[in-house]
Amino acid sequence: MKIPPVVVAYLQVLPLFLVLLVFLGVPLVLVVVVSFFDYDMFDIVPAFTLRNYDELLRSELTYTLYYNTVKYAVMVWAITLVIGFTVAYFLVFHVRNLLWQIALFLLCTVPFWTSNVIRMISWIPFLGRNGIFNQSLMLLGVTDQPLEFLLFSDFAVVIAYVHLFTLFMIVPIFNAMARIDPAIIEAAVDGGASRLQILTTIVIPLSKTGIALGSIFVLALTMGDFFVVKIMSGGQSANVVLAMSNEIAMLQYPPAAASAVGLLVVVSLMVAAILRVVDVRRELAG
Amino acid sequence: MRQRSGRRPWTFYALAAFFTLFVLFLYGPMSAIYILSFQGPSGGLTFPMNGVSLNWFYALFEQQRTGDFAGSFGRSITLAICVLVLTVTISIMAGLAFRRRFFGAGLIFYLAIASLIMPGLLVSLGIGLMFQFLGIRPNWYTSALGAHLTWTLPFGLLIMFAVFSRFNRAYEEAARDLGASNWQILWTVVLPILFPGIIAVALFGFTLSYDEFPRTMVTVGPRNTLPLEIWVMTTNVTSPALFALGTVTTAVSFLVIALALGSIALIQRRRTRRIIREAGRAA
Amino acid sequence: MTRSGEIQLQRVTKRFGPTVAVEGIDLTIPDGSYCCLLGPSGCGKTTILRMIAGHEEPTDGRIRIGRDDVTGLPPVRRGTAMMFQSYALFPHMTVVDNVAYNLRMRGVGKAERRRQARAMLARVHLDAFAERVPAQLSGGQQQRVALARALITNPRVLLLDEPLSALDEFLRLQMRGELKRLQRELGITFIHVTHTQLEAIALADLVVVMDQGRIEQAGSAHAIYNEPQSAYVARFMGGQNVLSGKVTTVADGQATLLSSEGDRFALPFQGTADFAGTLVHCAVRRDRIKLKKVAAAGRSGQVNALAGEVYAIEYQGSYVKVTLDVPGWPDFVANVPDDRFFAMPVDIGDAVLARWLAKDVRMLEADLGRASEAAGEIGLYKQELGLAQA
Repeated sequence: MKIPPVVVAYLQVLPLFLVLLVFLGVPLVLVVVVSFFDYDMFDIVPAFTLRNYDELLRSELTYTLYYNTVKYAVMVWAITLVIGFTVAYFLVFHVRNLLWQIALFLLCTVPFWTSNVIRMISWIPFLGRNGIFNQSLMLLGVTDQPLEFLLFSDFAVVIAYVHLFTLFMIVPIFNAMARIDPAIIEAAVDGGASRLQILTTIVIPLSKTGIALGSIFVLALTMGDFFVVKIMSGGQSANVVLAMSNEIAMLQYPPAAASAVGLLVVVSLMVAAILRVVDVRRELAG
Repeated sequence: MRQRSGRRPWTFYALAAFFTLFVLFLYGPMSAIYILSFQGPSGGLTFPMNGVSLNWFYALFEQQRTGDFAGSFGRSITLAICVLVLTVTISIMAGLAFRRRFFGAGLIFYLAIASLIMPGLLVSLGIGLMFQFLGIRPNWYTSALGAHLTWTLPFGLLIMFAVFSRFNRAYEEAARDLGASNWQILWTVVLPILFPGIIAVALFGFTLSYDEFPRTMVTVGPRNTLPLEIWVMTTNVTSPALFALGTVTTAVSFLVIALALGSIALIQRRRTRRIIREAGRAA
Repeated sequence: MTRSGEIQLQRVTKRFGPTVAVEGIDLTIPDGSYCCLLGPSGCGKTTILRMIAGHEEPTDGRIRIGRDDVTGLPPVRRGTAMMFQSYALFPHMTVVDNVAYNLRMRGVGKAERRRQARAMLARVHLDAFAERVPAQLSGGQQQRVALARALITNPRVLLLDEPLSALDEFLRLQMRGELKRLQRELGITFIHVTHTQLEAIALADLVVVMDQGRIEQAGSAHAIYNEPQSAYVARFMGGQNVLSGKVTTVADGQATLLSSEGDRFALPFQGTADFAGTLVHCAVRRDRIKLKKVAAAGRSGQVNALAGEVYAIEYQGSYVKVTLDVPGWPDFVANVPDDRFFAMPVDIGDAVLARWLAKDVRMLEADLGRASEAAGEIGLYKQELGLAQA
């Protein structure tokens, strides 16, 4: 019995679809539904109420949290963009040997394979008052007091995020750059372009999709994270997801759900805005 | 601009310096942990080092003081292996499916990408609620497994896309021409050629699961996986045992990577050697 | 910078690590001429083109364009422009922006440079496509855009890297004529790299045949085709059969050769009897060979005649290419005019006698005295090069 190829395709994609449906689709719907539930001290009460959204939108805390979230996200995005672009540019256009290119690229990715939590907390002995960084600064005579702002501050939060997520910017940009036909670069040289002009007129426009993809990843991951903010700010700062985790810990699911929906809307808007500017589909589809 | 010979422009040296700084930035802080895990028995969480010892590594195995290290480690490994197997299988199948156009392909694709960028805690919350409503207790081998898959499958899918897009269908057509059935084509032609990509998916599947944290938080049930255990320890434990744990867990990751890369290199070398041997025999 | 597009290569050598791409090249290309660099892949022709362009630097030697020594100068300062084999059009820019690129690099204002670009596009009949992107154009159209982009820089030398290879046959022949006309019109030097012999002799004032990093022969198309100096050039150009033998007698301006198979050839010869015993290579034009059916195969016994069996027959329109299986001479071909062939047709397997006149035989001077291996083993060569035979 010959099965038509289309049916085969459906069968092949079925497991993926099922997993995503059950563990992503349904949970998402549930979160939206629960965000309209009521709650009391002991339990959640199935109902339809706008209480959670009301509390969310009226609370000053909400706006502070969102401000923090977006603040960190934008700062991290800007820094990872500069670093990611520069590293990718170096690897693609300045490293001649293919083997070296792969080796250096792998070198950048290896830390990614270790636990995020470990990588984050490794900053503590590094940046602390008695940490390596301060000790070396004092040894070199740059300062005679340890720099306090290094740890448990906004600076520490941003540094930790950059450390964790730059790779997500490097990989898509590297991919996009590597796809540029070398003959095009040569044609630009032939047409009289200086290296800077080649960068601005050829390389950057042709890496746009990679930059957009990297930006989406970094923004989404930063805004969806909480443990970096919790640890690295020393409890002084908070963001939306951190507040959410607190509510979950107290079993107050409806307000947590409302928070989650709110965040999802904001992240989706950001992603949609980026997609309006750059069409990323071609890049992702290989 | 990529010159095949000749002098390098000054920008090369500037960029190379930048790159070196970046690599130092990546690896530097972690080295603090590796060094501190060998902290002496009376030493604290930060420098200076009070002697060198393996004290804290031994401490890891004492369950009461430092948390359930051995147990959570075992659970993490088991879970990671399950996730690996499932991710590879599902990704390969989905990759094959996406070579055709079919109705709903775009939807599923975007669903997978959305899964990637959705906040982990949100997914975790949703799955936790789902299990609660269904009356099933969340557990590391059910709900956490599903949560991990939502994180690893998009990566697996993207890798499969990249790998398949470079795959020349002429190989399959040649095999069919020579009388192979669909199943035989898959097993003898497609999968062997895609092998490095499959290893990459397996690597992602294992390590992403092994290190996963936010999605696991609400879905793990009564017993923790390793990253969660570490998280608990960051709040409870105030000894370098934490760093020892970090070193051990990193060593495991490196081992897995080395195994993956090594197996790719080994397979490639055996293939070339076999080809050379065959050619020598034929000549 | 003078406007002269005369190019001089002085002892130019290029090494890539241990590999030598070109060695000791001395070549002068006259100003305003159409020059074709011809040879199989890997012979170094593209390397030379890129060194003239400035995309590669010679390891040794110097390059002059006009009166200027351009060795070491970047491409834009040489007065050259290159048309790339893959066209290399900027995919993210419209056609008009592609053509205007050089002007933009020179700081020309937007309105002015677009005006000039459109004018250039009109010259190549593409002004209707100005606002399209390269992906929307056919291969032939993309090529003309690439041409326009190169010509807008007002170069004194235009470099073309296998410009016609990517086109289908019909378009290729059409573009060939256009390139020649364009060169005449502009009056600048064109350097055109190709591996197709017929293309080179159709277009070029100067044909440079290359092999393995060296120039085998440089001259007019007529000279290269009719008076090849070496067996390599004779075989590569395809119009000749290459034979060889040791000199037995020299008399009355003619020499007689005896091959190792026992065949005898006579050809015009300016040397003296001192040459007796020397190995001489010679070439006889394929269209100067007459075929006659014979009863049975066997040695011909005559001078300038070879007996063999018909191996392949290819109809080529105005002539028929008949390949013979002759002991000792692989790839012996006779190009028989079609009326003569159909008056007395032969078939595969027939035994024939091939004859020609002594005056149609030319000695290959460059191979005088060389062992036959050095003059190039034909069968393997042609297989490797995939040469089309004329």
